Amino acid sequence: MEFSEHIKTANVENVVLRQPLHPPARGTLCVTGHHLLFSDREERGSPQLLLLLRNIDATEKSVENLSGYSKMSASSGTITIKCKDLRVFQLDIPGMEQCLNIAHSIETLSCLGHVSEMYPFFYRPVDVNLQEQWGLSSPEKLFGQTKEFHDRWRLSSVNRDYSVCPSYPPTVIVPKVLDDESLKKVAKFRQGGRFPVLCYFHRKNAMVIMRSGQPLTGANRRRCKEDELLLQAVLGDSNKGFIIDTRSSQQAQQARMTGGGFESKSSYSCWKRLHRHMEKGRALQESLIKLVEACRDESHNMDRWLSKLENSKWLSHIQTALSTAGLLAECVERDGHSVLVHGSEGTDCTLLISTLAQIIMDPHCRTLEGFLTLLEREWLQAGHPFQERCAHSAYSHAHLQHESPVFLLLLDCVHQLWHQFPLALGFSDSLLLRLANEAYASNYGTFLCNNDQERCTHEVKTRTHCLFKALLKPSERDHYLNPLYEPTELAIWPSVQPQSLQLWTEFFLRWEPQIQHIEEAKKEIKNMISHWGKLFESNPFLNLLF
Amino acid sequence: MDAHIPSTPKEPMMMELLADVSLLPGEDRIIDKDIIYICPFNGAVKGKVLITNFRLYFKSSYNDETVMLDVPLGAISRVEKMGGASSRGENSYGLDITCKDMRNLRFALKQEGHSRRDIFELLFKYAFPLSHGLPLFAYVTQEKYAENGWKIFKPMEEFRRQGLPNNKWRITFINEKYDFCDTYPHVLAVPFESKDEDLRRVATFRSRGRIPVLSWIHRENQAVIVRCSQPLVGMSGKRNRDDERYLDVIREMNHTTKLTIFDARPNVNAVANKATGGGYEGDEYQNAELVFLDIQNIHVMRESLKKLKDIVYPNVEESHWLSSLESTHWLEHVKLVLSGAIQVADKVSSGNSVVVHCSDGWDRTAQLTSLAMLMLDSHYRTLRGFQVLIEKEWISFGHKFASRIGHGDKNHADQDRSPIFVQFIDCVWQMTKQFPTAFEFNESLLLEILNHLYSCRFGTFLYNCESARDLHDLRSKTVSLWSLVNSKSEIYLNPFYSPESGRVLYPVASMRHLELWVSYYIRWNPRIRHKQQSPVEQRYKELLALRDEYLKKLEQLQLTDSFTSPCLSHSPTPNSSSPTSTSSQQFTHLHTPF
Repeated sequence: MEFSEHIKTANVENVVLRQPLHPPARGTLCVTGHHLLFSDREERGSPQLLLLLRNIDATEKSVENLSGYSKMSASSGTITIKCKDLRVFQLDIPGMEQCLNIAHSIETLSCLGHVSEMYPFFYRPVDVNLQEQWGLSSPEKLFGQTKEFHDRWRLSSVNRDYSVCPSYPPTVIVPKVLDDESLKKVAKFRQGGRFPVLCYFHRKNAMVIMRSGQPLTGANRRRCKEDELLLQAVLGDSNKGFIIDTRSSQQAQQARMTGGGFESKSSYSCWKRLHRHMEKGRALQESLIKLVEACRDESHNMDRWLSKLENSKWLSHIQTALSTAGLLAECVERDGHSVLVHGSEGTDCTLLISTLAQIIMDPHCRTLEGFLTLLEREWLQAGHPFQERCAHSAYSHAHLQHESPVFLLLLDCVHQLWHQFPLALGFSDSLLLRLANEAYASNYGTFLCNNDQERCTHEVKTRTHCLFKALLKPSERDHYLNPLYEPTELAIWPSVQPQSLQLWTEFFLRWEPQIQHIEEAKKEIKNMISHWGKLFESNPFLNLLF
Repeated sequence: MDAHIPSTPKEPMMMELLADVSLLPGEDRIIDKDIIYICPFNGAVKGKVLITNFRLYFKSSYNDETVMLDVPLGAISRVEKMGGASSRGENSYGLDITCKDMRNLRFALKQEGHSRRDIFELLFKYAFPLSHGLPLFAYVTQEKYAENGWKIFKPMEEFRRQGLPNNKWRITFINEKYDFCDTYPHVLAVPFESKDEDLRRVATFRSRGRIPVLSWIHRENQAVIVRCSQPLVGMSGKRNRDDERYLDVIREMNHTTKLTIFDARPNVNAVANKATGGGYEGDEYQNAELVFLDIQNIHVMRESLKKLKDIVYPNVEESHWLSSLESTHWLEHVKLVLSGAIQVADKVSSGNSVVVHCSDGWDRTAQLTSLAMLMLDSHYRTLRGFQVLIEKEWISFGHKFASRIGHGDKNHADQDRSPIFVQFIDCVWQMTKQFPTAFEFNESLLLEILNHLYSCRFGTFLYNCESARDLHDLRSKTVSLWSLVNSKSEIYLNPFYSPESGRVLYPVASMRHLELWVSYYIRWNPRIRHKQQSPVEQRYKELLALRDEYLKKLEQLQLTDSFTSPCLSHSPTPNSSSPTSTSSQQFTHLHTPF
């Protein structure tokens, strides 16, 4: 299919662009299959605006016929474009018809549903080729790195054709005692086929974090011997483990009515269930919408800002996520128990808290490579449905289906950690900002599709470029390192008091012109630090002097 | 009455607890006692309390989890007995202490033989020395410092720095003996053409004789910040042509077309003041415009901070933190003060002279002028410049520290008390957050200033005005806080400071960008993460120290190896010019050969 079908007007002259942080500019607007381009007439160089259409969350058009005396040329229209990166800008377009055409193209092209039509399949930077290996890690690699647990764990390729669990990768790590046939039975007993798999091995005490979907016990309390065996095998010699259920116990009870359920005390006697109610799905999406609304409140009097911020509940979602992750880390690190995490599907909050817990406990996850690898393992390979969750962001109120900013919530939580432990994380906060953008609209294929199987079908790994690889290239990498990084082996326990949590202004208020001086000062500080930081890092000679 | 009750230690172990207290020179032990501290965070803690003429010190007897308190008596606003000899319940008999610095302390004693009588009486006496005919500790201490902080502010020097006197503005000694205005400093800057007789006539029309005088002048455009008290308009709407003429003279000094008079108060309060003889400038002031800045009075601010204390101490309101915070209105007041100061600074930097007043011109006015000066003049953003700013706009111009803080005074409910200066420091903190490279000093300095605002260890914040300070020989008999600060200045320096002399700082005074100063207001709560002295700042200081060490080593290397290493010898020597600016370039020269 041709994109040109959707483009009736490709170029318009004399368009006025009004965007935050810049004075209004007059120039030429151009719509292509994937981009919106705007360039100033004077400056022939780079366009002043090069926007992925995918980045557009919502548009509003207002056409006004200025001419009371029916002179078509005098009419014009304004398109307000609201982006997924929260930017809002306006295009004043001369000519009503052109304006409507452009608006139509933008609306259609910005939400094309078909994966293989998306820009990452067309993005071909000159300096990289597609032959490079895609991604940073694989379950095989993880398994190979952790020799010390080979006696009790194994790599299973029961899911090699994605038939056992469509949202899992082809290989997963499971207890050695269970054969593939048993795993298939367990998969039937867990929602989405998501049988418990290992996601983290705590070297200090050989305890593990497992994750899964909810058990399908249903109203008549079905049991699954293999599932019980699997969990028993996870415990090994220890006689106690914890199950952190990201639903309230009431919700878990109710889930039985629809075929879901929870691990009952009688069937899983060594496991203790802890319920922590975490919002997800629609509630989270609405929270984001409210927050962004509050952040954009232009009303003269902002007296109610704090109440609005509170009412959006965004910060309390962060609090819950961090404290549940803290609980998980406490079970593993402090109390020395293995933990299974799940909610219902096990593709959202489950991943959120297992990721955060790993950052809290594992120094390796706090390096740039380690963090990206963690995201790859816990979000991409583990099957967080990015395409569904990130189809729209805070501006699009219409037709919301599966949208939910769980990944954004994760990034915000990591940002809180970054704020509380500015020396303990090896990456800079600009990495988080970059990831927040890329998850919603990207040149890279990394966040395309909902799971590994779909990525395989669409040949994402051979036909698009990998974001994480690109971020680690020498040219980019420097920008994403924390120059003050001081590795620590200790766990970093976040403070979750509301007073310790802060709005992620770098993301939510980034387009406010008044705060540009703050951003500049931060940049300046960063430069000062990295100047000296890099000097010592890049010059081993200096260290020899001491 | 013997102050020193010899303590006979029954348990030697307990005595040792207090052995490591290092007392200040001149500080004397008054009493120590076994006591239970009802810690709001850890529960009841057994230990020993020591009271000196300066502090209350407590240390728990269990060494594994030491609970320690070190409270300057000056920070205490109220001491009360809690429970009676017959009250029931554990730890129900003891002392309840309210502090000025956002915390309360509770101690329990054994319910036998009037066990708390002596400690209560002694604490009461030494916490409120002025109510008991005793001197404040600042007059007792024998501390010595390498630097004399009283020399930091010399009014004439500061005027000269601003380029005064000049052909438009003169310095007058009309108030040399404080008989012109007893709450003003002894030197004042006024328009050149206004004679002292004119000033006397204007003084009759300004509350407490606080006439409009110059606080700051813009070097380039000669616009000025003038401060004063309200005009005595009264119910009958009195006029005073001398006052009108005087303000017009101020306007003419740099040909400002319209003099802006910033009245810090809300409009209604200004009107209400007419009933007590005050008021505001009306239409009769030609070529002037009046702007109300809507900042509330000292009583509102006091209640607001009290509300804030209620939600942060001892337990932090958790479930509705943000809306509770909002309902204290503290940040909103901070916002109004800051945005008022921004308006002042904006007028002045665009060449228009301004007059700032409130009612008496020593609370809101001081906040506005000093913040505006901080925005306009980078000198005040240096460690020493900031001290000058406080000495000048607050101390010399008669902010009533003694009344607002209530140093050594038992009258805890005094309606004159108000955290106006705390609010100012909060505003400064907000600015340092928004301009992290623009201030030479760091948060530690602000915290130190607020500690000693109450401690009464230094003379700096004592008394209401300069005349009272002179009367009590403050400068010769007490030590200045700046002596302490400038003797160990390195801990108060911001490593990210990069001076930009001409820059005017306009902070964002919007609720979205103001933060609660958690490390001050909630600093007693161990559950709130306190970034130990800003780790980023610390780490950067380490890096800089490493760099300096490196430069030194390099220099040594060059001295010894200069002939063997040609690539080193033709690059500039590190000590040839000022270190920071050029050293970065030297490295690019230098590290390539290795």
